[in-house]
Amino acid sequence: MTIGEKFTAAFIAENRWQLYLKGLGITIEIAFFAAIIGLMLGTVLALMNLSTHKNGKPAVVHYLATAYVDIIRGTPSVLQLLIMWFIVMKSSNNGVLVASLSFGLNSAAYVSEIVRAGILAVDKGQMEAGRSLGLTKGMTMRYVVLPQAMKNIIPPMGNEFITLLKETAIVGYVSLNDLTRAANLIQSRTYEAFMPLIGAAVIYFVVIKALTLALGVLERRLRRSDNR
Amino acid sequence: MKKLLALVLTGVLGVSLLTACGSSSSAPSAAAETASTEGEAASVEAEASSGSALDKDTLIIGTNAAFPPFEYAGDDGTPAGFDIDLINAIGEKLGKKVEVKDMEFDSLVASIGNKIDIAIAGMTVTEERQKMVDFSDSYYEAVQNVIVAKDSAIASADDLKNKKIGVQLGTTGDFIASDIEGSEVSQYNKAVDAVNDLLNGRVDCVIIDANPAQEFVSQHAEELTALEGTQFGFETENYAIAMPKGDTALVEAVNQALKELKEDGTFDKLVAANITGE
Repeated sequence: MTIGEKFTAAFIAENRWQLYLKGLGITIEIAFFAAIIGLMLGTVLALMNLSTHKNGKPAVVHYLATAYVDIIRGTPSVLQLLIMWFIVMKSSNNGVLVASLSFGLNSAAYVSEIVRAGILAVDKGQMEAGRSLGLTKGMTMRYVVLPQAMKNIIPPMGNEFITLLKETAIVGYVSLNDLTRAANLIQSRTYEAFMPLIGAAVIYFVVIKALTLALGVLERRLRRSDNR
Repeated sequence: MKKLLALVLTGVLGVSLLTACGSSSSAPSAAAETASTEGEAASVEAEASSGSALDKDTLIIGTNAAFPPFEYAGDDGTPAGFDIDLINAIGEKLGKKVEVKDMEFDSLVASIGNKIDIAIAGMTVTEERQKMVDFSDSYYEAVQNVIVAKDSAIASADDLKNKKIGVQLGTTGDFIASDIEGSEVSQYNKAVDAVNDLLNGRVDCVIIDANPAQEFVSQHAEELTALEGTQFGFETENYAIAMPKGDTALVEAVNQALKELKEDGTFDKLVAANITGE
């Protein structure tokens, strides 16, 4: 087969390009919902992790949060997905839901560490100043510490989203037709690996490059107040 | 403009890097190396024009150990089963060492001629596959079965329309299911995953070759039953061993070995031991 024929077979014949597009749709759908779940649950976990009693000893929820992070980080995400699919949610027919939840719960552990690091990077004096001005602990956290922590959090968070998007490539294990699976499927029809695999790689790259550019804009916007 | 140029150059560099990596790792034989930049098909042709896999001492065999009783993970984790015994016997006849590699079924054909020399995996001879590889004489006949729940109403070809069908990616069952009107096909890496999702109620039936179907059903005899493909109008298929396109020396040697094994009774012994029981 010539390069042209391979290209035709991999992208044009039998409207195969639609498979890549549908696959990309599934990939983005899963990554999007997983990111939302991860962001919300991760923030809660980070706050749980940092909470202390009045005497400065870690609260019970701290141990819950660290145990969660340990378990999630200590097991491969493929296994978490398979466990979610075949055991925990085995009666669910909604593959995207199962995958989003699985990746969301996974991402939450990493997000919580990012948020925790972001909060800890804000100088201790900020909390002390807030408290001595009569703000409650919660208020200081909300109005003084978290806004500053945001700036520390954004870059690694972008990194996490990119990892998450690429990690969804394993959903083929549970028969979801994401972008990587679309490439596999076409390879199994044309018996030719080059075009579908490189094609899928290029699509991933373009999407992630766009995401990187968008995150860059956000970061620059947040840095505007640094120059006084 | 400058930026655009830089971006384009980066892209070109990236792709060329990728292809460079791909070829160095996917070209174990010197023959394949010469034309590896154009990917699998090119290296298949290179193999064909410059020497046979028969020149090597060790034949690398690809299989997918998720297709009992033809191949499955044996007690020690390495592939075992009828196909493995058969290819070992053939290797003995040819005086070659045999090394079996377990891989995904859907990548077997594309790997022949570069990563592996021969694929034996209960593979059905189809026109599409024949465009990419050469097949030995057929060594087994089979028909697809439809696994359904015991209480299922599925009984004829019409009943399969608009159903959710589980299959293993790239198998004959996958091709059949994808052609059924209104079907929603779930492709799994392993047939056993499809069977699990049938048990979970995620798919209405599973289309898979007769022998593995019997095997899976026997493990869930209370819930599942396997229906003969003939009642759905599926055609009988021929399993054969796949080899690099154009490597006639290898194909002839394998056919000869296969013939001898059938004549001296070894073949029937392997069938009895692996497939029909006893």
